[in-house]
Amino acid sequence: MSRLEVERLSVSFGGVRAVRDLSFSVAEGEILGLIGPNGAGKTTVFNLVTGFVRPASGAIRLDGRPLVGLKPHAVARHGLARTFQIVKPFPRLSVRENVTLAAFLRHPARRDAEAHADAVLERVGLAHRVTVAAGQLTLLDQKRLEVARALATGPRILLLDEPMGGLTPAEVGLASDLVAGIRDGGVTIVLVEHVMKAIMRISDRVLVMNQGEKIAEGPPSRVVEEPAVLAAYFGKRRVA
Amino acid sequence: MNIQTFVQSLVSGALTGSLYAMIGVGLTVVFGVMRIINLAHGEMVMLGMFGAYWGQSLWRLDPFLSLLLWAPLMFGAGMAIHRFLLRRVVPGGELNTLLYTAGLSLLVANVALLVWSGDYRTITLSYGAEPIRPLGIAIAVPLLVAFVLALVITTALWTFLMRTDLGRAIRATSQNAEAAILMGVDVERVAVVTFGLGTALAAAAGVLLAPSLYLYPTVGELLIVKCFVIVVLGGLGSVPGAIAGGVLLGVVESLGAVYVSSTYKDGIGFLLFLGVLLYRPSGIFGVGRS
Amino acid sequence: MRRAAPWVAAIAAALLVPFAGPGSFVLHVLILVLMWTTLGAAWNVLGGLAGQVSFGHAALVGVGAYTTMILYLKLGIAPWWGMLAGGAAAALVSLPIGLLCFRLRGPYFSLATLAVAEIVRLVALNFESLTNGPVGFLITALPPLHLGGWAVNWESKTPFYVAAVLLAAAALVSTDWVKGSRLGAYLVAIREDEDAAEAVGIDTVRVKVITLAHSAFLAGLGGGFYAFYFRYVDPDAVCNIGLSMEMVFIAMVGGLGTVGGPLVGATFLTAVAEVVRGQLGLGHLVFYGLSMMLVIRFMPEGIWGRVHRLLTRPRGAAADVALGG
Repeated sequence: MSRLEVERLSVSFGGVRAVRDLSFSVAEGEILGLIGPNGAGKTTVFNLVTGFVRPASGAIRLDGRPLVGLKPHAVARHGLARTFQIVKPFPRLSVRENVTLAAFLRHPARRDAEAHADAVLERVGLAHRVTVAAGQLTLLDQKRLEVARALATGPRILLLDEPMGGLTPAEVGLASDLVAGIRDGGVTIVLVEHVMKAIMRISDRVLVMNQGEKIAEGPPSRVVEEPAVLAAYFGKRRVA
Repeated sequence: MNIQTFVQSLVSGALTGSLYAMIGVGLTVVFGVMRIINLAHGEMVMLGMFGAYWGQSLWRLDPFLSLLLWAPLMFGAGMAIHRFLLRRVVPGGELNTLLYTAGLSLLVANVALLVWSGDYRTITLSYGAEPIRPLGIAIAVPLLVAFVLALVITTALWTFLMRTDLGRAIRATSQNAEAAILMGVDVERVAVVTFGLGTALAAAAGVLLAPSLYLYPTVGELLIVKCFVIVVLGGLGSVPGAIAGGVLLGVVESLGAVYVSSTYKDGIGFLLFLGVLLYRPSGIFGVGRS
Repeated sequence: MRRAAPWVAAIAAALLVPFAGPGSFVLHVLILVLMWTTLGAAWNVLGGLAGQVSFGHAALVGVGAYTTMILYLKLGIAPWWGMLAGGAAAALVSLPIGLLCFRLRGPYFSLATLAVAEIVRLVALNFESLTNGPVGFLITALPPLHLGGWAVNWESKTPFYVAAVLLAAAALVSTDWVKGSRLGAYLVAIREDEDAAEAVGIDTVRVKVITLAHSAFLAGLGGGFYAFYFRYVDPDAVCNIGLSMEMVFIAMVGGLGTVGGPLVGATFLTAVAEVVRGQLGLGHLVFYGLSMMLVIRFMPEGIWGRVHRLLTRPRGAAADVALGG
């Protein structure tokens, strides 16, 4: 059964169709990679699915429950969490406090929330930095924190917006392992990423967008050979 | 309904509106570039008004002519305020900056109150005591002169923004500061100049308004609120929006005073303001950013 | 309740002050400090804890003051009950305001509150059948009150002082309580980054509306007290931008989002007002403006915030902005 279903989703900003008639689904336990050139509409898809932007038309369902019209906090409560491309830590709060805030969603008592936060931080490899102010972390650690905070809300599906952007190759390796580990822990994942090597390695399936539309979908190895994808990435060469 | 009255209030509304527009443009340019809502903007207008007043009463300087003195002076003052005061506060965040300009506004208004007392003053011109009456519509001469000058200044500003490198840099920074930095725009310099420009515009509008309004040190409080209405109507950060918003507010106030009631005319402006903020946060013309 | 003992001790000590036989001028100054503390704390709950800068809080003070006046002068309900009703009325009025204005963020929110306050002021000025318009209300005599067989003497400052202590205590204790609660943690999240707060499941609008209601209740109480103590209310006294700015000033100078900040800010404000106005004959607002600028530039955490930091944490340790602790 598919965990997340998106059906004919469209939205425009000031006359520009940012996302056009987009449909896809994500199976339980899958890692779906969402790729495409800059401005293809990938982040907009995340904003639509998580309730930050309301679609002009189309449907979004999480385990069969409609999500369109819900505010982001309600979407999170339903079990769909996200990270932001440009990390948004609560900069003056400590790492533990950042994650505790997210843990409150499923653990109303402070003590439980803190315990849960510590467990999540352990899992993403931030256990040694819990008392540091989030604003003082390195970029890699801020990305980890972003993931930890999303995880602490107890999601069934996690939307990661460029978790590897700006990381060194060695760090990308660490981040890939982390993402794979989260999936193995039972969380379905949708991943927007520009680091092609990483996305090709860890995705079960990729969906390619260009100018708001889906232009290809399938296993990574097959999708990269599709002419439409090559055209979108490498040039204006018309493909018959 | 009397068509004469209608046209009359339309015309005087539009004339006043052109001056509102100038004040609004100053605020909106600064907001566009620096993301600062300068709460002391009204005090800059007030200083312009008093400049015109003292120019006339101390040196017998024609109020409109004194524009040539006060506008450059306030441009320099604005740059200094940015360079020595605001620049050090802006990194502290939007909230702190907003409150800082609130403090500046209190300070300037109340120093003026100490120095000049709270008396209401007026400027009397040696000319134009009688309104001119084209087509039977009375137009106050000071307001007409101010309108023409406002038109000239606004056109000059527009040309500057569209045609010069510095103007383009200002627009670029306003549209996307990060991209502007990447394109090699010296954002610090742009910010300083922009703040000077905003201050000069406010003061110039003050000079032009002075012969038509009562002047007193806390007049800025009233003007800043109008100014918010204007820039929000037009969309924060948009220059054409502020011009349209200014004229619109002038007309709405003037018509409202005739057809609704003078006590609630300010209320109309605010209701319009709230409505636009809530339903069209990018301004009624849809040109600003939310 | 965390740290209940220090609060009980502080309130008890404050209530003992009249027994030391201070003059009525001293009591008057203390009453002013406590009233401003209440008002500053009211603003601080929303502006300091949640980072939502309102420039229109005077409207809520006005609602409280007018409610107290109208209930007493038109319906004969004693002002001490009127104060509570004033708080409740302000909280009630704040709900639609919040639902409306909280659709906006940052400076847009601030501008909207300014507009709402101006509308409230215009209503107070022009809705004469309810508010008496620009003339306002004057209480000529307070109703008799007997507490345990004692007739309260309204010519003495003491009963007002006691009321002011209780009000300020309510404001500060409730701030402290919120800061320590889950709600307080949510407010910090909203202040730091609203999108991120939504993303982790915080219903930001609801949290902000609740906090505004809390803030409005305190502002309304303060307004009611103003009416009760000064016995006079008109639109200029309680609905102007200046009053809104004074509330901002107190919270800012004392220390945004700190519990004790408003007390420090109010003390500073009252002292400046008395000394500057009385001794130097200068406009006290000049000093408000100047000190706001200086504080933001050199001490953005405010006086209380700075002192608190120096006392509780060694320099350079991790930030711990008020989650729990």
